[in-house]
Amino acid sequence: MIGRGHPWASLAPALCVIAVLFGGGLALGLAGSFGAGRGGGWSFEAWIAVLSEGRVWRSLALSLWIALASTALACGLGLGAALLLRRSFPGQGLARLLFQINLTIPHAVGALGILWLLSQSGFLARLAGGAGLIDGPARFPALTQDHFAIGIIAHYVWKEVPFIGLILLANMHSLGDDPEAAARSHGATPFAAMRLVLLPLLMPALIRAGAIVFAFSFGAWEVPVLLGQSAPPALPVLAWQRFTDPDLAARPEAMAIAMLIALVSALLIRAAFAGRGR
Amino acid sequence: MNGRLRAALGLALIAALVAPLVPLGLWSVARGWFYPQILPATWTLEPWARAFAPRSDIPGALMTTTLIALAASALALALGIPAGRALGLYRFRGKALVELALLAPVIVPGIAVGLGIHGVFLRLGLTNSALGVVLVHLVPTLPYVIFVMSGVFSNYDAEAEAQARSLGARPLQVLWHVMLPAIAPGVMVAGLFAFLVSWSQYILTLTIGGGRVVTLPLLLYAQAGAGRNDQAGVLAMLSLAPGLVILALVARQIGGRGMAFGGTR
Amino acid sequence: MLRMMAGVGGALMLTAGLAQAQDGNALLGMSWDEIVETARGGEVNVFMWGGADNINAYVSDYVGGLLEEDYDIALNRVPLTDTAEAVNIVLGEVEAGAAAGAVDMIWINGENFRTMKQADLAWCGYVDKLPNAALVNFDNPAIANDFGTPVDGCEVPWSRVQFAFAHDTARTPEPPRAIPELLAWAAANPGRFTYPAPPDFTGAAFVRHVFTHVAGGADALVGPFDQAKFDEVAERTWDILNELEPHLWREGRTYPTSITQLQQMFANQEVDLFFTYDPAEVGTAVVNGIFPETARSYGLSDGTLANTNYMVIPVNAANKAAALVLQNLLLSGEAQLEKAQPEIWGAATVIEPDRASEKVQAGFAALERHPSVVSIEELGQAALPELQADWTSAIEDGWIANVGN
Repeated sequence: MIGRGHPWASLAPALCVIAVLFGGGLALGLAGSFGAGRGGGWSFEAWIAVLSEGRVWRSLALSLWIALASTALACGLGLGAALLLRRSFPGQGLARLLFQINLTIPHAVGALGILWLLSQSGFLARLAGGAGLIDGPARFPALTQDHFAIGIIAHYVWKEVPFIGLILLANMHSLGDDPEAAARSHGATPFAAMRLVLLPLLMPALIRAGAIVFAFSFGAWEVPVLLGQSAPPALPVLAWQRFTDPDLAARPEAMAIAMLIALVSALLIRAAFAGRGR
Repeated sequence: MNGRLRAALGLALIAALVAPLVPLGLWSVARGWFYPQILPATWTLEPWARAFAPRSDIPGALMTTTLIALAASALALALGIPAGRALGLYRFRGKALVELALLAPVIVPGIAVGLGIHGVFLRLGLTNSALGVVLVHLVPTLPYVIFVMSGVFSNYDAEAEAQARSLGARPLQVLWHVMLPAIAPGVMVAGLFAFLVSWSQYILTLTIGGGRVVTLPLLLYAQAGAGRNDQAGVLAMLSLAPGLVILALVARQIGGRGMAFGGTR
Repeated sequence: MLRMMAGVGGALMLTAGLAQAQDGNALLGMSWDEIVETARGGEVNVFMWGGADNINAYVSDYVGGLLEEDYDIALNRVPLTDTAEAVNIVLGEVEAGAAAGAVDMIWINGENFRTMKQADLAWCGYVDKLPNAALVNFDNPAIANDFGTPVDGCEVPWSRVQFAFAHDTARTPEPPRAIPELLAWAAANPGRFTYPAPPDFTGAAFVRHVFTHVAGGADALVGPFDQAKFDEVAERTWDILNELEPHLWREGRTYPTSITQLQQMFANQEVDLFFTYDPAEVGTAVVNGIFPETARSYGLSDGTLANTNYMVIPVNAANKAAALVLQNLLLSGEAQLEKAQPEIWGAATVIEPDRASEKVQAGFAALERHPSVVSIEELGQAALPELQADWTSAIEDGWIANVGN
C-alpha cells in the first residue's frame, strides 16, 4: 500500500467507460421499461403487465432454481475437485490441464456439447441403446429440455466446477499446509482439520466465486435457449422473446423483465454478502 | 482419502470434463450421424473442407473474432491497469463504492444491460460496426482486468519505484523498467481473460453488431439453429483453439494458479 | 478517454451525416435509367434469415455476382436468426432519428411486415418504377395480401411457399394425410408426434392448420379479426390440442422450442413426422445428410397454408437506388428461374412464367424436382390462404395461455 491519496486520475477512464456503457445501458433499459421513447410518454403499463403475469413469475422461479442448484452443485463439487487435485495421483497433471482448458471454452460450445451428449437421442442415449439398455430414444430419461432444467444445470456445473476449483486451489496454494498441519498436530482428524480450519479460510473466496456463478447462471441467455424447455422459459429467454416479438408493444415488457433480472440478481448477491456477516 | 479412491475420482473428473466435447468433435468429421449410430457411419473431412472453402464465412469470422478480441483486451488493459493500480495501492474515501461500480458488470447479467446499451450506441452511432462491438466487449472484460490487476498491485512493492526515482529515473523509465517487469505475469493473465471473454461473447455482439459483425459464436448459433450439426461441430472445435494455444504458450510461465481468477463469459 | 470516445463518436456521426439517406421522393421522380446510374458503384445491405447455405449462396454468389457485374453494386448479405432483429434495428434507428439507416432491404412477411407498415417503417410506392414488376400479377390476392395485410406497394414479392408435412417411407409408410387423420394418428401412436411451441413460426403455422380445420375451412376465417368468431373456434381448438397432449412426445409436458429441434428429432427417430413451410427444405436436408433418402414431403387433402414472402425497403434505407436495382433483379425471369432450380433452392416463383422470355418459360417447363420434394402443382391443388396477422397473433397468444403452459 502506498497509503492514502486520491488516485482519481487513474480511475477516471475506467469509471467513465463503465458509467457510459454499463450505467447508460441500465438507465436506458430502465427508461425503456417505462415506455420512454415510444411516443406515449411515461407509463407503468409494462411493469404492471409483467408483474401481473403468471408466466413471468414461473420463469423467475425456474431461473432462481437453475441459479441456486447450479451454484450449490458447482461450489460443492468445485471444493471436492480442489481437495482432490491438490494431492498428487496418477492423471493429476491431465486433470489440472483439462480444468484450465475448460475455463477457456465458450458457453455456447459447452451447451451444444451437453445437448448432443445428454438428449434422448444423444451420445449417451446411443451408448445405452447399443448396450441394449433402452429400446428407443423415448426410454432414455429426459435430461435436456426437461422440467427440472437438468441439462442447463449440468452445463453450468460442468463449466463452473473448474472455475471454482481453480480459485480454491490458488487460495489453498497461498495458505500453504500450515493451518491444517497445526490443527492436525493438536489432534484434529484430517476431516475435522479441513472442515474447521481450511474451509473457513476458503469461505470468502468461495462466496465471491459463488456469487459470480449465481449471477451468470441466473442471467445467461445462451444456455437455456439451447437446453431449456418450452414453458416456462428461463427469464432471460422470456426477455429476449419479448425483445424480438414482432409486436413492438412487447419491447417495454422486455426491458422491464431485463430490469427485473438485474434487480433480483443484485439483491440476492447483496444478501449473500450481508449474510457472511462482515 | 486413499490413493486408489483418489485415482478413481480423478478419472471420473477427467471423463466428465471431456465428455461434452466428444460429440462436438465427432460431428465435425461426420455426415448424417443420428440415432441409433453410436459412431458416425460416414466419416468425412468435408465439413472442414467446406468451412475453409473460398466462399465460406468462417475464415472471415475467425479473423473478425480474433481482431475484436485483441482490440478489446488491449483497450481493457489500457483502462484496467491504472484502475487496478489505484485500487490495489491506495486507500481513499469512497473506495468501496468505486470497487462496486467497477465490478458491477460481472454481477448484473449481460442481457439486462445489453438491451439498453443498444440505445446508447445507437445515439453514439456505434451500432453495426466492429468498433462498437469492441467497445461493448469492455463491459464484460474490463471488470475482470481490474479484478486481476488490483490483486496483482496489492502485492506490488511501490517502494521500488520511489527508489528508482530517487536515483534519477524518469517516470517513463520507472514505468518500463520497474513496474512493468513486476506486473508482467499479471498483465498476461488479465489480457488472456479479456481475450477469452471477448472471444466467447454472443448476445452483446448480436445486439450491437446488428448481425453485421459476424463472429464465431454468431455462426455457431446460426449453424446449430439451422440443424447443420457438422458445421456447428467445426465451429465448436475452432472456438476451442485460442484457449488451447494460449494455454500451451503460457502454461510454463503462469503455472497452475495463474488461470484461477475468472472464467469465460 | 472520454475525449477520445467523443471524438470517435463524432467522426462516425459525421460520416453518417455525409452519407445522407437517399431521398425516396427524388428517386421516384427519375426514370429507370437515371435510377440505375444513381445506384451504380454503390452498395446494398440485405438483411435476411441466414440459416440455409443454399439460400445464402444464391443471394451472395448468384444475385450478388450479377449485381456486381452488371451494375458495379456490392451486395452485403447480413444473416439473421430472426427477421424481427432487422425490424428492431430499423425501429431503433428511426426512433433515434438516424437518417441513413444500416438496413437497405429485409426478407420479410407476415407480422413483421405488418409491424413495419403500421409504424411507417416501410418505403412505399416505388413498384411501378421496376421494369420487371410487369412479370408479376399484382391482382392475385395471394400476392396483393401478405398474411391478410394489403401490400399497397410497400414490399415486392420474392417467393411462394406452401406448408407441407414429411415422413420417412421406410419407417412410416402410411402417414396421415388430413388434419383429422393426423389427430387420430397421433393418438394411436403415442409419443411419435409433436410440434414446436409458438411463437416458433412453423409451430404456430401448425396450430393454425388445426384452428382452420376446427373453423370448418379457411373461408370461415377470411377477412379482418372477429373476436366472437375467434372465441368460439379457439375454445374448441384448445380443447382438441389439450386432449391431444398426453399422446404427444413426452406426454406433451413440454414442446420443442424450435423447428430445428423438431427436424433433429425426426432425423434421430424420436418422432415420425416433420413439417415445414418450405418443402424444398426436405430435399436440402436429404442432400446434406440430415434426412434419409427415403424422406418424402407431402401435402394434406384438406389443404395446407400457403404464403408469399417479400423484400421490403426500410423508409430510412441509406442506399435506396441500389435497393431498387436489386428488387428489379430479384424479379427477373432468369433470377426467379435460377431460384426455382432444385439444386439451387427449389423455391416457387412469384412471376407469371408466360410473361417472361421464351427461354425462361422453357426453363420453368423443364424444371425437375428433388425426389423427396412434393411437386408445387400437387401441393398447390389444396392451398389455404394465410390468416390476417391479427388472427395469427391472437392464435399464438391463445395457444401460449391455454395449451402450452
